[in-house]
Amino acid sequence: MEFGWPKEHVDYRRRVREAINELLPPDWEETYVRESYASDLQIDFSREFCAALAERGLLTPHWPAEYGGSESEDWQHFILGEEMKAAGEPRGPQYMNVNWIGPALMKYGNDEQREQHLRGIASGKVIWCQGFSEPGAGTDLAALRTKAVRAGDKYIINGSKIWTSYARKADWCFLLARTGEGRKEISVFLLPMNTPGISVSSYPGLPKYGHLNEVYFTDVETPVSGLLGEEGAGWDIVIHALSYERVGVPRYHTGLHALDMAVAALKKEGRFDDPIIRSRAGMIAAQFEGAKLMTYSVVDQRVKKLPPNTDANLSRVAALEAVNELMNFIVEFLPDCLAGGHLLLDDYYRVNVPAGVTGGANEVQLDLVAQRGLGLPRMS
Amino acid sequence: MRAILLDHQDIPQSQKLDYCYFHSALQDVLQESGFLNAAREVDPLAAALLVAEAAKIPPVVEVGASALIAPALMPDEVPEGPIAYVDGARLDKPHRNLAVAKTAFVNLGEDVAVVSIDEGDVERVETIYAYPFGKFVRKPDLTRSVIASAGATATQWARVALAAEFAGAAQAAIDFTVDYVKQRTVFGRPVGSFQAVQHRLVQCSRLAKGAYYLAMKAAWSKAPEDAMVAACYVQSEVQKLMYDLHQFNGAMGVTTEHLLHFWTYRLRALQSETGGAHGAALDIADSRWGAAGDNGRREC
Repeated sequence: MEFGWPKEHVDYRRRVREAINELLPPDWEETYVRESYASDLQIDFSREFCAALAERGLLTPHWPAEYGGSESEDWQHFILGEEMKAAGEPRGPQYMNVNWIGPALMKYGNDEQREQHLRGIASGKVIWCQGFSEPGAGTDLAALRTKAVRAGDKYIINGSKIWTSYARKADWCFLLARTGEGRKEISVFLLPMNTPGISVSSYPGLPKYGHLNEVYFTDVETPVSGLLGEEGAGWDIVIHALSYERVGVPRYHTGLHALDMAVAALKKEGRFDDPIIRSRAGMIAAQFEGAKLMTYSVVDQRVKKLPPNTDANLSRVAALEAVNELMNFIVEFLPDCLAGGHLLLDDYYRVNVPAGVTGGANEVQLDLVAQRGLGLPRMS
Repeated sequence: MRAILLDHQDIPQSQKLDYCYFHSALQDVLQESGFLNAAREVDPLAAALLVAEAAKIPPVVEVGASALIAPALMPDEVPEGPIAYVDGARLDKPHRNLAVAKTAFVNLGEDVAVVSIDEGDVERVETIYAYPFGKFVRKPDLTRSVIASAGATATQWARVALAAEFAGAAQAAIDFTVDYVKQRTVFGRPVGSFQAVQHRLVQCSRLAKGAYYLAMKAAWSKAPEDAMVAACYVQSEVQKLMYDLHQFNGAMGVTTEHLLHFWTYRLRALQSETGGAHGAALDIADSRWGAAGDNGRREC
């Protein structure tokens, strides 16, 4: 056990920060963060930003060299994620590309698919969206009903997806569709979003505009070559792909950053001498620090190639609890922040409104840890 | 054949039924074996690991003060143990481990007084806490042996020690409870199959795991803020653990025949030390964002 950062990691973090400072426009916060990282404006910007990151070798550091990476260990990838999230995620949707879509293509794609997509993702100019959730299938993903029916050398897809962030601007969709009647008879399709029969509608919500889209598929034809892996292998692919996302967003990092901003705002108002406010802030910092170390332990396990366990789920639970405390703190002591008083804290709050729902509801994380981690019996 | 326990066989059993089972034989073994010197001979992290492990067993031994506070205050000398950490501002109050201590570190704020305890100096205090509590019968001499300017260091390592002790005791209490809810059935199925129980046990598990890493990091880094964070985290979560773990052990958990209280009432005893969660949180605020009235801001 050793908690320090080796020099190479410190240097790497500095490189990432320098890149962020140099590549973000002066009006980044005022113009772009105001719009959210799922906005059309920021998605377009991500094509420039990620391309510049790629040129600096900072987009896909953990990828194999043959696909444009530098084969660095997961720590670098994680440091990159921390710094990007703290800066308002200027990679826009492309964090998904590098975190799990690319690795899924490496493992399950054929030569043609790898050739077609991986260079594009590593160039930082391609936008993907994730066609998973449906109106009746969110956390219970295997309940999805969008169907792909084989017709000769193509599939015909009908159905709809929901909560599809970035769908309006995406070039490609990593689509899950049912190819059989069995619960897990699901396949993955790599589908161009400009295919006839696809339409996207957006609607407002508590998170900022751009996250909440619905995608409709009406007799959408895609060649068999758009299938990733074998027909019916979609469930395994998704489980594997999302294992890259098990730790998820480094919420402790953005949280500690937001907490610092909240304290600065309270100081500016002359209110941070109040011992109750100070104590609450200190306790939230402690919670985030706990979540941070739990997450780091998971990254370390991954670097050491240890078998997966439920520590990642537990670290997500820990981070979410701290996030909720901070959101409560912001509203209790700085209510104006959500009424035009503080752009970045407003952004933090809104981004985290669905934090316990996205990527697998918190209750499912708790179920997984209870049953697979603690060995408690499933309800019969 | 004699069907009832002999005297020497009966002692552990009777002590198990008490609120606190101080294991003096194990204490002697730990002291004589050199384990408590881990911080001097290896590093404080090794000592913190020892503290957490020792806190997992139902009987209590004094490890935290000997293994973590003493080496920080007296790196070249090994004071006689067991050692009690005493808050100088509450000198007349009962303190943890004072009933069995041979030495007390009395934190006077600025300085620390090292007090040798002779027979008759201290009386045992009956308490629900699972440590041997005692209080001074007569005011100790706080001037004979003083470590100047060591108050903050003592507080720091007392925090590391209590966090490590919490991590071990909490984990043991959770493991014990998980075993119990797997076996105990209600309404025709195991208590542990109810989602309401499962989710809360996972949250308890989160607390123990976070405590463990924070305590170990604080021991490793030797940084005062890490110690504040570790103490704040564990002390602010005691109530939740107490309620859930006792709830899941049901009525058995309120008897002293059940082992649960040996861990949970250790957590309770740790809850308020070194200022409690509120005191630690205020110290974190001072450290991270400057003292009250200071509008300067630390670079993060």
